Amino acid sequence: MDVQEMLEMMRDPLGAPFFPVVFQVLLVVTWVLHIHFVTGAIGSSTFSIFAFLHKDPSLLRLGRITARLTPNMVGLGIVTGIAPLLFVQTIYDPLWYASNTLAGFWSVTFIFVVMGGYSLAYLFYLKGSKDGRLLWSAVASLVLLCFAGWVMHVLHTVSIRPDQWMNWYAPGGVIDTRGIQFHAYDVPRLMFLLPLQAGLSFAATLMFVAWYLRQRTDADLAFLDWTASLGRRIGLIVAPLYGVFGLLWAFTEGPEFGLTAFIAAVAVGLSAGLFAFFWLQGKRPVLAGAKALGVWALALLVVAVTREVIRSVSLSRFNYSVATYPYIIDWGSVLMFGVTSVVGVSVVTYLIMVIYQSGQSADGTVSAKAEGFGRVATAMLGAWFGFFVLVGLFSSLFLR
Amino acid sequence: MYPVWEGLYVHSAMYVAIIATFHVLASHLTVAAAWFNLYIERRAVRENREELYEYLKRSALGLMVFAYVFGAMAGVGIWQSTTAANPRGISTLIHNFVLYWGSEWYMFLIDVIGIIAYYYTLGRVSKQTHLRLAWLLALGGSGTLAIIVGILSFKLTPGAWLVNGLSLAGFFNPTFWPQVLMRFAFMFVITSGWSLIIATGLPRGFFEREKIIRYAGAIGLIGMVVGLGIWFLWYEPTLPAHARSIMSSRAIVPITYPLIITGAVAAVATLTFSYIKPHLQRRWIALTFMILLQAAIFGAERVREVIRKPDIISGYISSNQLLFADLPARGVVREEQRLKQTGMLGNLPFLPPIDQIDVANVNATEAQRQIAVGHVLVVQECGSCHNVSLQTQIRFLDQHLVLRSLADLLVLRQRITATDIDAYIKGIQGFPYMHEMVGTDAERAAMAAYLEDFIKQTYNNQPTVVGQR
Repeated sequence: MDVQEMLEMMRDPLGAPFFPVVFQVLLVVTWVLHIHFVTGAIGSSTFSIFAFLHKDPSLLRLGRITARLTPNMVGLGIVTGIAPLLFVQTIYDPLWYASNTLAGFWSVTFIFVVMGGYSLAYLFYLKGSKDGRLLWSAVASLVLLCFAGWVMHVLHTVSIRPDQWMNWYAPGGVIDTRGIQFHAYDVPRLMFLLPLQAGLSFAATLMFVAWYLRQRTDADLAFLDWTASLGRRIGLIVAPLYGVFGLLWAFTEGPEFGLTAFIAAVAVGLSAGLFAFFWLQGKRPVLAGAKALGVWALALLVVAVTREVIRSVSLSRFNYSVATYPYIIDWGSVLMFGVTSVVGVSVVTYLIMVIYQSGQSADGTVSAKAEGFGRVATAMLGAWFGFFVLVGLFSSLFLR
Repeated sequence: MYPVWEGLYVHSAMYVAIIATFHVLASHLTVAAAWFNLYIERRAVRENREELYEYLKRSALGLMVFAYVFGAMAGVGIWQSTTAANPRGISTLIHNFVLYWGSEWYMFLIDVIGIIAYYYTLGRVSKQTHLRLAWLLALGGSGTLAIIVGILSFKLTPGAWLVNGLSLAGFFNPTFWPQVLMRFAFMFVITSGWSLIIATGLPRGFFEREKIIRYAGAIGLIGMVVGLGIWFLWYEPTLPAHARSIMSSRAIVPITYPLIITGAVAAVATLTFSYIKPHLQRRWIALTFMILLQAAIFGAERVREVIRKPDIISGYISSNQLLFADLPARGVVREEQRLKQTGMLGNLPFLPPIDQIDVANVNATEAQRQIAVGHVLVVQECGSCHNVSLQTQIRFLDQHLVLRSLADLLVLRQRITATDIDAYIKGIQGFPYMHEMVGTDAERAAMAAYLEDFIKQTYNNQPTVVGQR
């Protein structure tokens, strides 16, 4: 059985419930959200440790804020990670399931590692971030979060090498069902995607937070200027390293898929572009906070597309393509997702408005406009249950 | 079809069970606690009772740290563990319901962003705004529950989906309505336990301490009565006859029902006590109650999983991850039929042809080679539900902790030679919770040879003696 035949057989015979390319787009877009929070958590965690080791008053003040930021970023990283997890299984089921079974032990251990990292980050925030006690918990949390990143990296790297799967599963014709081997990895790729993106995510987040908080009437403008400048400096230091490790990634993984020049061009382009952006904000970085986050989101989108190109090219060697993935249009699914999307986006937008506006004003004021929108969003969520019950009754009575 | 991950020390199915049990506790807690907190907050706003916000603040912090985020993490953990343990089962669900799960994801976002907003804006935004956040949390949580029950209940009762292949028919299946209402009722029992833990932590003499404990007791008791009513009058009668027969079979581990009954009795006792004598309620009692409840949930969830045996999706795909029914509406052709004729080896990915098994061992005898072949097949066909190698055993002194070990089962039934085991496998479909073995006679013989060897490994070459003990 050759690899092409194997991949075809492994595809779920039910097919996707909608155009597969739509799932591919959703996969790329939701991964951007996910990776921003994940790398932001690692960045803020690293900074907290740095700050509490150096004892400088401004660093300590910011370190306390980032200690609070870390567990929330982890929580959001987990929740936003669910969406790409859904979509990758839909169109790349052979890849995702094979890699998760080949490294089954680590796939399952992953969540315990994340839970440990999250708990320790919260422990440090609640009990240690006032005076720097329990710094070990912040360090242990960072180690665990990085290890979780390593596991995900291995799962992905294994998944795009279907020609190796059988050798890994049954070397010498003896099956290995323990799932404890890290079968494939690429350290430069991991460095590019995790620690270096953590630095850049953190830099953009710092500039954004400073920009956001300076609009409060009780804001300490000097501190916020310093915070934004620090973010810019971190960006200036990390951006060139980002390019260097991007090139290393291109030269280690690129040749296998004939993508050396492509990955190198993306890495150099991103590195130069980000460096130029941070450089140009020299006068008042605090004013460029929103722009910084936007530019960073765009950079992450480019990275997400690059990952997708590598995966597609890898699979095209075996004639596996998302474009030819079997599908049907399942109208029940489309109806449910469409209606819930409208309601969900409205409610989430309102919640973000409440957090944003109440945090921006000294007395927690939320605008009348936002309140009006909130009333509508809440009513929409209530109405969603009416929709759900009606569809349910229709299905129960007429689709038997 | 996929590589098999048996598990390490602990069987892969037990990883799923442990993570899923925790997830059930945390996720049900978030939903019901959101409604309970909404009730408390409405009273606080209407009656202008500031002191109730102290309870809400403590509850929200605990919920945010413990239930929402850990619940979400355990949810991802279920994905990871089910993917590793039985990828084709989860694949069937994904390819039917990915957009329903996508819908649930929106509700998750509302939950997690909502609880962050709820906790960090408590006392900062206006009371009306905060009350709206409480409403959103309660509704969002209920949305997650409603959606996931459709997917969970599909596994046992896919209903008309087996004919028309429509996701809506599978989602709103015969056990959907009773199960969603029953879970909704029972989750108030869980949240009562949570509320007791929080309220008993309030200072003695705190203005509303006893009242909150009474509310919790009353709401939990109502949830218990309603939940049990739905179970006996609606849910249980809706279960397929096959599932009901398995409930009273040996497939359910004997400790399971005592666990469930203990949890139920503890619930009634603790909640009644809270209602009658709120001032005597203590935190250690509440914590003990939650632990017993967790054990009961473990038992109940295990029953829910086992009564589907031998299928992952009832009537469609079996535990060995092979499709055994056609689904013309979706163009699906069953796999078992073909494999019974061609044999398994060399005809599925990750099942190498016989001449590629154990090729590195050039000095192997024919008997050893047959055992190696049998190992590949047993892992594939039986490994999802049974302990089939020493890899997933925890040994302590002369005891071994295992999940339905095939060595134990065969010794118990006095089938310890390859010939006897071969005959036993041939008629295995006689058990209501087993399918016919898939493969050729030669493959069955190889499986029997391996199982004989496995029994010897497990019992240190003295299976008969142990079997007669």
